[in-house]
Amino acid sequence: MKILIAEDEFSLQQSIAIYLEKQGNVCEVASDFNEASYKVSLYDYDIVILDLNLLTGSGIDILKQLKKEQDANTAVIIISANNSLDDKLKGLDLGADDYLTKPFHLAELNSRVKAILRRQKFGGGTIVVFNEIKIDTDGHVVTVGEKVIVLTKKEYDLLLFFVTNKNRVLSKEIIAEHLWGDNSDLIDNFDFIYVHVNNLRKKLTKEGAKYIKTAYGSGYKFIDD
Amino acid sequence: MSLSSIALYFYLRNILEVEIEEQLYSTAARIESSLEAGKNPYSLPPAVEVATSNKSLPDILKDTLIYDPSQDEIELFRELSSFKKINNINYKITVRDLVVESENILMAIIISYLLIIITVFVVLYYFNKVGNSYLWKPFFNTLEQIKEFSLSTKEPVALSISNIREFSELNTQVKILTDKVRGDYNNLKQFTEDVSHELQTPLAIMQVKIESVINDAPLSNQQYDQLTSIQKDIKRVTQMNKGLTLLTKIENNQFINPKQVSLTSIVEGNIANFKEIFQQDIQFVNENELLVTMDYHLAEILCNNLISNAIKHHIGSGDIVIEITKEHLSVCNKGEKPILHADRIFNRFYKENESVKSTGLGLAIAKKICDMYNFKLTYTFEKGFHIFLVQFS
Repeated sequence: MKILIAEDEFSLQQSIAIYLEKQGNVCEVASDFNEASYKVSLYDYDIVILDLNLLTGSGIDILKQLKKEQDANTAVIIISANNSLDDKLKGLDLGADDYLTKPFHLAELNSRVKAILRRQKFGGGTIVVFNEIKIDTDGHVVTVGEKVIVLTKKEYDLLLFFVTNKNRVLSKEIIAEHLWGDNSDLIDNFDFIYVHVNNLRKKLTKEGAKYIKTAYGSGYKFIDD
Repeated sequence: MSLSSIALYFYLRNILEVEIEEQLYSTAARIESSLEAGKNPYSLPPAVEVATSNKSLPDILKDTLIYDPSQDEIELFRELSSFKKINNINYKITVRDLVVESENILMAIIISYLLIIITVFVVLYYFNKVGNSYLWKPFFNTLEQIKEFSLSTKEPVALSISNIREFSELNTQVKILTDKVRGDYNNLKQFTEDVSHELQTPLAIMQVKIESVINDAPLSNQQYDQLTSIQKDIKRVTQMNKGLTLLTKIENNQFINPKQVSLTSIVEGNIANFKEIFQQDIQFVNENELLVTMDYHLAEILCNNLISNAIKHHIGSGDIVIEITKEHLSVCNKGEKPILHADRIFNRFYKENESVKSTGLGLAIAKKICDMYNFKLTYTFEKGFHIFLVQFS
């Protein structure tokens, strides 16, 4: 996948690029409005990750420019320091595919990127495969080998999050935030996450898929040894 | 006033006395001359009495009380008795005249004085009133403007121009003062907004770097724990930022989309969300569907903040009870004792104890939302329950 990261904060831009490249994407970066505008008009990207407050202009204009083109296949994820609902609605109205408020977890950004790519390539759901695990994101059906396993909604979300961010250490905080959003700060006891992960792990292990590993005592990693 | 009326009283009495005496003397003289002319002595009691007398005394002038049959009362008379020898007969001529009673004089004085005073008072009162209201009009205009002055309105105070020097000076100072206050307030608000906004990017950088560190290098469990603890703190700062930005926005009146909102359905949605992360039960008593006219987003925040506050501070077993009637929404959770400083519970960053990790903004935001729509948000502690009640009417 070809991704453009239009973000004027260098270290943020680099961290995003490195993370997404590790996931097998080709990343280009733009550090200001003109560079972003130029690259967008010249090349085709699958996804543009767009900061709304670029130093020399507004990301909104880049978004308009992108959506004006006839064959507008490029998906846009807005990342903004502004968490106001208006901005969010405005962005989505103008055709952005997703909106993330800073600060965000890279794992979260990655799972949004993957979700958009799935929608974009296959007009909706597709099957995410990890070894013998198949996740049908259309019908929300998970099969291990030939066997369908029944998961709760949270377990399903959790599995998809794990597979999307395979080989990465996911802390309980990141998982909680992915599953419960802003309400996750109400969870003062992350044992709760442990229960969900454990249930999922049991269901997978029963079919011989032992991929959920504990990392550093309290985090998790989805990995094929 | 009373001194002058006393003086007037004595002066008048004196004048009247002198006048009566003069009259008495002149009457006595006329009788004398008529006696000298050889006319027979005659009497007209009590006014005139002529009698023969063998005494010869100087004139006696005195007051006397005599029954007056025509008036049917005892009246005060002034009496002049003079002894004269006319044609070798000694006569005693007594002349009397009615004295004006002093109470009558006094009464007349008092009444006339009172009339004068009342008239003067009434005239002066209206005169002053009209005069003052004209004179002080600019002052009261200014006062009215100061009363109506609010930091949240965008318009500066409009003061009328006065040609009275003191008032125009006052107006100038009031204008300078309010402009300064408004300026400072706006700066402060802008500052809060800017700080909250500007913090997001560095926080984002910290966040992604920690994630990179966790994934790049092998760490010890202890290092990992420290890094995830930093992540938690970043999350807290983020929440705080969001809260502060939201508060500023509410203060700026940036939510101007009031519409009919069903709090019942919002609360139902909230409960469904919270049920997964809150082990105990949430009891929902819904008597009537509660419809309120307000911004939908703010309604969500209000319900969410009240319920999440209850979840955070719920102690022991038992349910959280949420009750909705036609006019109010109440959220109750179990607690050990009432809040120590109940009056400060809606202040920003007020925390009863440090153990609960919260931003300290949730209730302040709820209160701000209620204030904005003139809802009444109150806290009480009853029978081991913290009760937050929002009255909508």
